[in-house]
Amino acid sequence: MRGRVNAGLIAGAVLVGIVVLAALVSFVWTPHDPTLVDASNKLREPGGGYLLGADKFGRDTFSQLMVGARTTLYVGIVAVGIAALIGTPLGVIAGMTPRGWLAELIMRVNDLVFAFPALLLAVMLGAVYGAGTLTAMIAIGVATVPAFARVARAATMQVMVTDYILAARAAGRRRAAIAVRHVLPNIGSMLIVQASVSFAIAILAEAALSFLGFGTRPPIPSWGRMLQESQELLFSTPRLALWPGLAIALAVLGFNLLGDGLRDYLDPKLRRIRAER
Amino acid sequence: MLSVEGLTVRADAVELVREVSFDIAPGERVGLIGESGSGKSLTALSLMGLLPEGVRASGTARLGERELVGVPEGRLKDLRGREVSMVFQEPMTALNPLMRVGAQVAEVMTLHGRSRAEARARAVELLGRVRLPRPEQLARSYPHQLSGGQRQRVMLAIALANEPGLLICDEPTTALDVTVQKQMLELIAEVAPALLFITHDLAVVAAVCERVLVMYGGRVVESGPIREVFARPRHRYTEGLLAASKLTPRGTRLPTIKGSVPAAGRFPDGCVFRNRCPYASEKCQTEPALTGDGHAYACWHPAD
Amino acid sequence: MPTHAGTPLIEARDLTRVYRRPRTSLARQGEAVHALREVSLTVRRGERFGIVGESGSGKSTLLRLLCALDQPTSGSIRFDGQEITGRPERALKFLRHSLQIVFQDPMSSLDPRMRVRDLVAEPLVALGEPIGGRVTELLEEVGLPASAADRYPHQFSGGQRQRIAIARALAPRPKVLVADEPVSALDVSVRGQILNLLADLVDELGLTLVFVSHDLSVVRHVCETVAVMNNGSIVETGPVDEVWAAPEHPYTRTLLQAVPTLEGLL
Repeated sequence: MRGRVNAGLIAGAVLVGIVVLAALVSFVWTPHDPTLVDASNKLREPGGGYLLGADKFGRDTFSQLMVGARTTLYVGIVAVGIAALIGTPLGVIAGMTPRGWLAELIMRVNDLVFAFPALLLAVMLGAVYGAGTLTAMIAIGVATVPAFARVARAATMQVMVTDYILAARAAGRRRAAIAVRHVLPNIGSMLIVQASVSFAIAILAEAALSFLGFGTRPPIPSWGRMLQESQELLFSTPRLALWPGLAIALAVLGFNLLGDGLRDYLDPKLRRIRAER
Repeated sequence: MLSVEGLTVRADAVELVREVSFDIAPGERVGLIGESGSGKSLTALSLMGLLPEGVRASGTARLGERELVGVPEGRLKDLRGREVSMVFQEPMTALNPLMRVGAQVAEVMTLHGRSRAEARARAVELLGRVRLPRPEQLARSYPHQLSGGQRQRVMLAIALANEPGLLICDEPTTALDVTVQKQMLELIAEVAPALLFITHDLAVVAAVCERVLVMYGGRVVESGPIREVFARPRHRYTEGLLAASKLTPRGTRLPTIKGSVPAAGRFPDGCVFRNRCPYASEKCQTEPALTGDGHAYACWHPAD
Repeated sequence: MPTHAGTPLIEARDLTRVYRRPRTSLARQGEAVHALREVSLTVRRGERFGIVGESGSGKSTLLRLLCALDQPTSGSIRFDGQEITGRPERALKFLRHSLQIVFQDPMSSLDPRMRVRDLVAEPLVALGEPIGGRVTELLEEVGLPASAADRYPHQFSGGQRQRIAIARALAPRPKVLVADEPVSALDVSVRGQILNLLADLVDELGLTLVFVSHDLSVVRHVCETVAVMNNGSIVETGPVDEVWAAPEHPYTRTLLQAVPTLEGLL
């Protein structure tokens, strides 16, 4: 029986692939300068080199979407990176000593952060340190730490009761070595799944923040801000809202599908069934 | 009563069970012995229509007038539990942890059309029949309040609820302690209407069954009355297995079968045992048929 | 009988281990479970010592204590004259060196994401010892080809995986091998191979063997001395053949009668 690469996994990978490709290509080529304000192209209809038309400042929508993909991925990578780098070790520590005071402390602080709305955190940080992509990313990242810590803790606890951990202890391995050599590789698949789901949430959060004016600053294109700028023209020129909205929806869908697909693909139980046949 | 003809089970291109045929008469207790990968459990599951996804059975298996193989799920649901029922290895996971055990026994009867009150009363009666102490009280407890052996008895009560014609047991005592196992085996032998008992343990099969089928590599390699097969095995695999099951005194070498059981689909063609058999010759590249009346075996170089 | 038998290698005195169930009420502490009640035993150098018991008998708890993978509630264990209870992990290096374990299920005792080479070398890495050609040497000792080193556990059969686990346990040249039901997860046709292998290795390397099993007949084949456990206590102990022929404790008798045998039938 071959590996169970399901349709969702493929669809997710394709959607995410498109976003990544657009972002990469935008470094070397876009149809037009996405930030060039040109009154003569104001609200230009699609066609004639402007594939999706232009906005109220005459900027090419397609080029903006391409560069916006960059912002989206940038935010996702940094936010998920922060969350994974802080959350995973905390979760692993808590999972390896589930009854210790340290584990208790970590998980209670975790609960506190979890209870705090991510967007509120971002708005507060923005008010103190100034709104911008970096502030937004850090806020989203910090708010995502508990999700990672919880997944890492639950997965670690499952690994810790296996005989191979006992075997490693009997071999004389220290805690740190067990964490790095045995726990991390075996919880990796679950963390990858969590990362792709968190990525989708981060994309949405960034879009929401930019829409509210607490995210990416002009003139750097961002899908969230494109939505915001199209707000007043929603009824006269709906396509200006449609394209960035669609881009956000598809990117989020893509990462979610990728996460679900990876979960099924990497699930050791499903894999064992395959191996036995 | 049960008549299986040419039962073959495959997953994609891999043949997991090949041309298995056997009969079970009413009241007869038949053991199906095999190691991991022998196809013994798949044989049982295909009779219950419970094969995992992607695994298909062909051939025929008639229970009385009814066909069990290749029947659509809708009709199998009626058969399952009423005509054939099964007790699995793991009594911990087979019961719903949130439901009282009496209600779980009663449920299988209401599903097959009995009134609720009648089912309740009969559930208590059944719990008594599988020799659980104080059945009225026990019916009101939850699975986690019972021991492993008691849970397995509840599973047996559920299996017997609709008075099936055939009971299939798949390693029902493997997860139990030896002291509990003995009583459980006696109970199964006593209550089973007709029994197909699947296990890897030769001694267990000898304690319960009258006739035995030895499976290896998805095929029945030897079958016959248990005393004859165990006292005078003809197939070289059965011979090796019996020798390996006896623990010789300390300090002596244990007889072994060389190599290990191949993974599913990796068994040699011809005689499935020939890559581990000390007597294998060129002749063994052609598949031996299962021949013999009563005591049958599929071997080119049988033991005498 | 090995000639160098005599001085005790492992001496356990009055081991008690109490677990507490999680609380179910705010007012009361969780219920106490006595997994082990004042168990004492002595394993002599070069001895093959069997521990027999059913689930819940306390044999697994005892095993973990002997291997210093858990701490007793009270009691002491001396290994080669040194107390091993109450020590932090870093002060147990000598024990990790001298005592190694083979677990029941080789599927779960081998990290699925590590290659055989790293699995077998793990005790050496942990103890900071040179590896050199030791992995190949060990694989050969347990009857596996050198090419096995580059593969993953799932590519092997159950018996082969148990061989890998044995190779790992032998890596630091221990004095004591603790085997926890090493054959109960294996097919009958390979059980004999593993038991023969263990017997050979114990002979060749002069090991002391602590062998835990639920099956008294397996222990009888492997060991000289047996301790029968029930309900957290050792109920009977002595030379296996004596216990087998004339069990004194009623539980031992029940256990012996319950074991299904082929001999009785044929």
